[in-house]
Amino acid sequence: MTTPHLLHRADALLRGLPEPSPPGATAWRSRLAILAAFGALYGATMGSFGERPLQAAFSALKLPLMLGATFAISLPPFFVVNTLFGLRDDFRRVVGALAAAQAGLAVILASLAPLTAFGYHACGLGHRPAILLNGLMFALASLGAQVVLRRSYRGLIAARPAHRAMLRAWLGVYVFVGIQMGWVLRPFVGSPGLPTRFFREDSWTNAYVVVWEIVASVLSGS
Amino acid sequence: MGNEESELGEGGGWSRGFRELDRILRGEMTSLGGEPRIAAGRLTWVVVLLCMAYGACMGTFAVLAPDGPGPMQVLASMVKVPLLFYLTLVVTLPSLYVLNALVGSRLTFGSVFRLLSASLGVNVAVLASMGPIVAFFSACTTSYPFMVLLNVAVFATAGFLAMGFLLQALQRLSDEQWPANAADAEIVGEPTAATRPQAARRPEPRVRTIFRLWMVLFGLVGAQMGWVLRPFIGHPDLPFAWFRPRQSNFFEAVYHALVALFS
Repeated sequence: MTTPHLLHRADALLRGLPEPSPPGATAWRSRLAILAAFGALYGATMGSFGERPLQAAFSALKLPLMLGATFAISLPPFFVVNTLFGLRDDFRRVVGALAAAQAGLAVILASLAPLTAFGYHACGLGHRPAILLNGLMFALASLGAQVVLRRSYRGLIAARPAHRAMLRAWLGVYVFVGIQMGWVLRPFVGSPGLPTRFFREDSWTNAYVVVWEIVASVLSGS
Repeated sequence: MGNEESELGEGGGWSRGFRELDRILRGEMTSLGGEPRIAAGRLTWVVVLLCMAYGACMGTFAVLAPDGPGPMQVLASMVKVPLLFYLTLVVTLPSLYVLNALVGSRLTFGSVFRLLSASLGVNVAVLASMGPIVAFFSACTTSYPFMVLLNVAVFATAGFLAMGFLLQALQRLSDEQWPANAADAEIVGEPTAATRPQAARRPEPRVRTIFRLWMVLFGLVGAQMGWVLRPFIGHPDLPFAWFRPRQSNFFEAVYHALVALFS
């Protein structure tokens, strides 16, 4: 897929224009390509903190991996539950809508990459503010992706209101898995005091348990 | 019916079993009228396979703990998850059938069994579909209480969805078998029993109550059965054992896991 074509497809995705005919395999390829290319672009920007090219390369790989892996392992229960609620006939459209939202998230993130780079290099942000800045960018991109998702889902919900509850369930499971996936695949920004690595040594721990331990230690005042 | 038999006859045993499960999940088994047309035997193998798949995902936690029970736990969990469901069914099915017959339901033992097989199919399909998420968390969690609670949550979600399916299937069956008037009965094509004098007294609310009570019973027996058959996940500091001493109970253990996680 050539760069102009990719940009054209990304533009169509944001505007909610229909897929070129014939849809199907081509649409999937373009969404995957958008996710990989734009995700890698933001990942590389994210990892450019401290001007470490290796970290930027790792983050460029890890961001699309995080989004793709979260999507892949959240999908089987969603498929079964959709079937159970009699929505199986729409499942192709549902997955199309979810994949479009994922690709949309990557495009929006990529559009925010210059701001992140500006924050890193022009404002001289420290490590913690840099993490917060990225958190803000992800929050903004998630809100933008919601627009893509709701637009793609509008027709589905109008035809069958049960899709609304399914969408909420999907977001719940996706966020639950995504937070842990992000934790496992960290560092994305890279701490300046630590050597550059693909995974942290304590990567394979549980984000929720760690957060709870922090909350508990704050509450107990220790 | 004949057409459906020949339709089901296509393909290998496993693929037919999965197709059967797919038809159950789509609600086709219970919406076409009459009793559920389910080949329970064929379905059972698929249910066992899916239970084993989930068991393997559950046991992943033990494999990755350095001092834990190791790969034997995966094997044990693969054996124990199917056992958990079928032993619970063996314990609770007779009482359901007897009470069901007592309140005047027209469901035969075979129908009850097929209905429960279909619900079990739904339960394990949801369970197995969440297997990759459980395996992922098993691989990156060192907290044993977190894994216990995550598995309890997954089992509970699958159980509630299966309960919803069972009640819905029962409602459809009851609507089809006890139509509101004789004209409806003719449309449905079941004039015999529905037009009998006693058809005026629809036992369906009582049958639904029995099923509801039974589901609570199944949940309680299942939870305790899970406790008796433990370990499924395998405590990371304890060596492998097929069974643990029979002390305490499931609910106390969940409470302790909650306390351990949040303290």
